[in-house]
Amino acid sequence: MSDTINVKELTNAGREALQRLILSLADSKRLMGIRYSDWVLGAPSVETGIATSSMTQDEWGHARLLYAMLKHLSIDPVPIEHDRSAEAYANLSVLDEPFDDWVALVAAIVIVDGALSAALRAFSSGAFEPARSRVHKMLAEEKFHVSLGVAWYGRLATASDEARSLLRAATDRQLPATLAWLGTDDTASRELVEIGVMPPAATLTTAFKDSVRDVLADGGVDVDAVEPASDWDAARGRAPGQPDADSVDRARGSRNRELFVE
Amino acid sequence: MIEITYDVFTRKNRGDQLSHIGYVDALDDETAKVHAWTTYSEETWFEMCVVKRSQIIPVNRDDGPFAKARGGVV
Repeated sequence: MSDTINVKELTNAGREALQRLILSLADSKRLMGIRYSDWVLGAPSVETGIATSSMTQDEWGHARLLYAMLKHLSIDPVPIEHDRSAEAYANLSVLDEPFDDWVALVAAIVIVDGALSAALRAFSSGAFEPARSRVHKMLAEEKFHVSLGVAWYGRLATASDEARSLLRAATDRQLPATLAWLGTDDTASRELVEIGVMPPAATLTTAFKDSVRDVLADGGVDVDAVEPASDWDAARGRAPGQPDADSVDRARGSRNRELFVE
Repeated sequence: MIEITYDVFTRKNRGDQLSHIGYVDALDDETAKVHAWTTYSEETWFEMCVVKRSQIIPVNRDDGPFAKARGGVV
C-alpha cells in the first residue's frame, strides 16, 4: 500500500477528480438506499423485506460517511446533501428511476451494488487516508448484500422462463451503464491514478467482472461480451441524465426540511 | 419460490447458553444468515447460528415442529 496523499498539496485537477469520485460514490449509495427502501414492503417475503430495510440503512450510512469525506477537501457536506438540484447528482445512472419489479432490484444488487463495492474496495486501498480507515466496515456490511443478491439472481435464473427473461432484460439495461461508470478512462479518472487514489479504470473493470462473471453466467449473460455505454458526462463522472424528482426530494430530505437539525 | 426453514440460535455474551430465538425462511444457507442477522437485530449478539430445521433430530416426541419438518406426525 502506497503512502497517503496530503490533500492540501493536490493540484486543482487532483482535488476536482477526488471530489467527483467521492460525490459519485456518495450519491450512488444514497440512491441505492432509496431503491432498496422502495421494496421494504414489497419484497417476496417478510424476511427479505427486513433484509432490504437493513440494506437501506447500510447504504444511507455509507453515503453519510462518504459525504463527510468532502470535509477533507474543505467542502461543507451539508448543502451537498440537502440543497443540490437533481442535475447536480453524480449517482450511477441506473439508479435514476425506481425499479419496475423485484427482479430488477435483484439485478441491481449484483450489478450496481457490486460495482460500488468494487470501486470502494479500490478506494480503500488507495492513497486517500479517510477511505483507508472508513471503507472497510462498509465492505464488511456489503458481504450480506452480495449473499442476498447472488442467491436471488441464481434462483430467478432457474425459476421460470418469465423470471429468466425479466432478469436478462434488467441485466441488459443495467450492465452497460455500470461498466461505463466504473471503467471510463477520462481525464479525471487518470488524475486519480496519477495521485494514487484509484487504480486504472481497466483494473477496476477487471476486478468487477471477476466478481460477477459466474453469477451473471447463471442468467445467460457473458459479462466479457458486454460493451460499456458510450454516453458520458465527464463533469459528474456518470452518464447524462438525473434522478427523478421524487427520489431527489427523498435524498435531500425536502419533505421534512422544517425539522432539519444539523 | 421454494424456501427452507432455518432455526436461529444465539448467545448474547461469551459463556451464555446458546438459545433458540426463532426461525427464518430463506432460499439457501447464505440468505438464511442474512435473514437471521437482519431479522433478529435487536441485540448485539456474541454468536448467532442457523440450522436447517430438517436437520434437527427430535429425541422424545414426534409431534413438535422439528418432527414435522422431518416428516413426523402432523
